[in-house]
Amino acid sequence: MENVEKKLQEEAKKLLADKKVDVVIGYERGTLPLTATPVFITDAGDAEKLVYDATCVQNLAKYAHDIISAHREAQKKVKPEDRKNKVVGVVARGCTTRSLVIQLQERQYDRESIVILGVPCDGYIDPKKFNLALDGEQAAEGSVNGDQIAVKTLAGEKKFALKDVLADNCITCRFNNPVISDVVIGDKAPAKAADKEYEKVDAFEKLSTEERWAYFTKEMSKCIRCYACRNACPSCYCKVCFVEQTMPQFVGTSAEQTDTQIFQLLRTFHMVGRCVDCGSCVSVCPMGVDLRNFLKKLDKDALELFEHRAGASMEDVPPLSTYRENDKEDFIYNP
Amino acid sequence: MADVKATDGWEPKIVAIVCNWCTYAGADLAGISRIQYPPNVRLVRLPCTGRINPFYIMKALQEGADGVLVSGCHPGECHYLSGNYSARRKFSMLKRYLSYVGIEADRAMFTWCSASEGERFAKVIKGVTEKVRELGPAKKLVKTL
Repeated sequence: MENVEKKLQEEAKKLLADKKVDVVIGYERGTLPLTATPVFITDAGDAEKLVYDATCVQNLAKYAHDIISAHREAQKKVKPEDRKNKVVGVVARGCTTRSLVIQLQERQYDRESIVILGVPCDGYIDPKKFNLALDGEQAAEGSVNGDQIAVKTLAGEKKFALKDVLADNCITCRFNNPVISDVVIGDKAPAKAADKEYEKVDAFEKLSTEERWAYFTKEMSKCIRCYACRNACPSCYCKVCFVEQTMPQFVGTSAEQTDTQIFQLLRTFHMVGRCVDCGSCVSVCPMGVDLRNFLKKLDKDALELFEHRAGASMEDVPPLSTYRENDKEDFIYNP
Repeated sequence: MADVKATDGWEPKIVAIVCNWCTYAGADLAGISRIQYPPNVRLVRLPCTGRINPFYIMKALQEGADGVLVSGCHPGECHYLSGNYSARRKFSMLKRYLSYVGIEADRAMFTWCSASEGERFAKVIKGVTEKVRELGPAKKLVKTL
């Protein structure tokens, strides 16, 4: 990955120096050990700040959309002849490119507005699994060497395998290489255990209705409705989200548990054919709600019913905006 | 609706969200033809099944409906040509999803019923009422405040 990082910096520098992009969205070193945080680079001299390794968690497509739509809003106040285009460079691994594909399919911006710096991905460290592996200790320093992680804590040194702390969605990732890119950086990453993608969903489906409901209510009772999942999600970009809509008010804002359940049901249901399983919502959730279990079910059903994988190619049509005359009808009630 | 308690006199409350052009007219025909069907159903008329936001179904369940029925024109007969096709996609996902999280599958039902099918409309309502009656009063997702 060292190699990828170097090349990435060079490419970003070149793009910025040639004025091909106005800003590059990437990752920089975080303030805590073994973390990375999104960075927006507008000056070619700052390109060395870019890092890329297993500590890069967030899906950057979110920021691409935010920057472009904010710019478009700002341009409304400018005289038509003085309006400028903004081109955004995005450091994108597989899931990020899929999110970009979805945003492009949904006509959020033109293809010319983004330059995709495609990078291969071996998965990222799940912050929650990482903290569990540390056993309550605080990391003071840390580094990733190949497939090993070395962490220095106050009590001493710890070493563990990278694959033990990889996020669940990364372990079974099907698209760990970019699906579209303008600049390809590095070699292709080796395939992951994609055939086990729906293992957990399959197991969950086998539980009884009551067991499933018990699990759902247990998970949703953790939710404090901070909406971090929505804010981190690259597919959640509505100007007015249904949770904040008041005319009419869609979801109640009380602490009553069904309000939270309805919120989560509906937010996840908005992800039909749009969730790329990037794990951003899971990683930002402060309460550790198991959202993936439910999102993955929608993904599985969309594949089963409509042979659709979210954001897999530019030619696909979002599954709920199209239809086939012979779509499955087994759920229809016939007395 | 939420004040109904599971006592001996409990009767299921069913919200039927129907399209204006087929099922509503079908219900009309059932009425004109004096076909009897259970009075447990409350019809909500919408222009088309494609107009139905999945949220309406969840909201009905939250507000205390024991069952929700969605009915529109048969595929290929939509007044707006393709509204019910998109609805079919949406609801095939929704039905699976609701039962996945643990809500009984028969709480949310989907069917087609055309304007000439008064008899079928009565049959559907009878069937749905029976199914919901078997399940008993809704307890999941029901707002208690």
